[in-house]
Amino acid sequence: MQLIPKALKMMALWLGVVMLAGVATEAAWAHGERSQEPYLRTRTVQYYDVQYDKKTVKVNEEFTLVGRFRLMEDWPDAVSPPETVFLSAYSPGPMITRVESYLNGMPARQSFAKLELGRDYEFKLVMKGRVPGRHHIHPLLSIKGSGPLVGPGEWIEVTGSKDDFLLPVTTMNGIKVDNLEYYGTSRALKWYVVWIALAAFWLLFWLVRPLLLPRWMALQKGREDVLISNRDVTVGVILGVVVVAITFGGYIYANKEYPYVVPLQAGTSKVDPLPKQQHGLEVTVLKANYDVPGRSMQVTARITNRGAESVSILEFATANLRFVNHQAPGADKAVAADYPLELVARDGLGLSDQRPLMPGETREIRFEASDALWEVERLVSFLTDVDSKFGGLLFFVDKSGNRLMTEIGGPILPTFTAL
Amino acid sequence: MNTETLQHPQGAAAGKPHAAETALSVSGLSPRAAHFSRVFELLVVAAIIMLFAGAIHLHVLLLAGDWDMFVDWKDRQYWPLLTPVVMIMFPAALQGIFWTYFRLPIGATVGATCLMLAVSISRPASFMWWTDYPLNLVLPAQMIASAIVLDVILLVFRNALFTAIFGGFAFAFLFYPANYAIFAPFYVPVSHQGMMASMADLIGYVYPRSATPEYIRIIERGTLRTFGDSASWVSALFGGFICIFMHYAWWYLGLAMSSMKFLPNNPKVMALMGTKPDAKPSN
Repeated sequence: MQLIPKALKMMALWLGVVMLAGVATEAAWAHGERSQEPYLRTRTVQYYDVQYDKKTVKVNEEFTLVGRFRLMEDWPDAVSPPETVFLSAYSPGPMITRVESYLNGMPARQSFAKLELGRDYEFKLVMKGRVPGRHHIHPLLSIKGSGPLVGPGEWIEVTGSKDDFLLPVTTMNGIKVDNLEYYGTSRALKWYVVWIALAAFWLLFWLVRPLLLPRWMALQKGREDVLISNRDVTVGVILGVVVVAITFGGYIYANKEYPYVVPLQAGTSKVDPLPKQQHGLEVTVLKANYDVPGRSMQVTARITNRGAESVSILEFATANLRFVNHQAPGADKAVAADYPLELVARDGLGLSDQRPLMPGETREIRFEASDALWEVERLVSFLTDVDSKFGGLLFFVDKSGNRLMTEIGGPILPTFTAL
Repeated sequence: MNTETLQHPQGAAAGKPHAAETALSVSGLSPRAAHFSRVFELLVVAAIIMLFAGAIHLHVLLLAGDWDMFVDWKDRQYWPLLTPVVMIMFPAALQGIFWTYFRLPIGATVGATCLMLAVSISRPASFMWWTDYPLNLVLPAQMIASAIVLDVILLVFRNALFTAIFGGFAFAFLFYPANYAIFAPFYVPVSHQGMMASMADLIGYVYPRSATPEYIRIIERGTLRTFGDSASWVSALFGGFICIFMHYAWWYLGLAMSSMKFLPNNPKVMALMGTKPDAKPSN
């Protein structure tokens, strides 16, 4: 008798645990990119200057996501090169819809072929709110053979009612569609009803008479003649003729109703990268370590300034994480106010020498990017990496306030004691 | 045994059946037995619908997959070829079973209807209600028209080989025109960002599927495009050719899967099964 209350208590406990797990893991509802290997995120596509123009939109209201990405020169061997790519927005389903997308100003509805390593591309995504709620949206570049590589995400709040969502379209032959969501659906459902009715007729025609055992027994006795009559064959043939007539009649009618049709569009586009930035900076990595207990990446690099103005190291960015040198000029404007703060290192970037690099000067500088973000973002699985290298973007600022950007990367050694 | 049955010659030599004869009367079942047989049949029908709806749905999902799932995968090359080749498998097996044991020419239609039932539940439930995708992104193709004609051809020819040749071919050949009436509106051209697209392309673009980038679509590839407007009919013809063999193979596969095999009751088998070698057979 005590078993029942005990069982009920256990059930209540398990239910509570499950609910708690569901609530407690809310933070994990986004940031699935943390499950990707570190080399995928640090040495392939580096996003920068990503901006969302709105964080809250109504259903049917548009918002824009712009930014740039660099395809790293030192592309990992384990990752397919960007021979075929597709620009998109990552979202938890069609919570938002795509309105337009551009890559270097070219329409990006289709995939692109042969993007160049070591070059930059600018993207623009115009999207529209569709399903109310709070949704995590990322820019996304999918690479054939490698999968998706996402940029920094942002929570977008969509308000209003999903029933208000409208997507009007006008076709090239003048057909006005009120809402793309329902286009063609009622026609399809009517046809399904027709075919299901014919199937039901044929099945019921046989189902109304004894179906299995009597027929089997009659067949065992060799009395196949009583199983199928001339009437059955006649009805079947008529049904067959009706089906063929409806099939081809429907086909001919559809051709008349829609005389101008096109096949699915399957080509790829080509686009030139952005012009290379002329800055005269040369960066050579001499040594790179990752201090595991200290959660700190330390890089010693030889930097040569062949430009006309002095430059200061402004920022190191990799895998959407940003380490800003707070002492550099213009550092306060380096990170936009609405950039996801969880991706910005609190202590920023430490330098061994904060002096600006004068024109013509070559200097060895050690910079340090320390933050628990390395572990939070799961970027430090060196012991399972087949190619222990790091990669990222190094930003400089010159005396005039212009921002200059280079790639940086090279072998990295993990150290398990304090350096 | 019903003595009336003994008065009639059996098989083809019987000529026309006696006017009052039915399968029930010939079977010799008593009215009570016939009643329970009918109840049993209805239970079997319910079980068959559940079982085959799940099995055929899973089969088509795994083999035809995206071509049947998404409207922007329904091209002129792979869709009219692969979908009927995949969809004929279970109907052919069911035809083999229903015809061989019961002389019922409904196997293909049962398969097609069960699939329709399954997708009628899964598409709205999975896409519309669970993930908020519009239904027109995931409208399924139907194979009922092809299946009915396949069953009728079996009824007329009453022969597995001719059914495979003519029915298998017709199954694939009818697939494209029967579904074109449903999907024609999705090939209407629309201008998007200054580039031409079909309505199907636009629907696929507008509603993001993060794990399905555009390049993943296996559509309109290869030199079949040189046939221009006729590419879909060439695919349908080739699909018909493949379906001849597919139907024949799966007819016999269906029979093999529905037959009962027994192991002989001898010492070797007993030893294999782990019973004692000197164990006496139970009968």
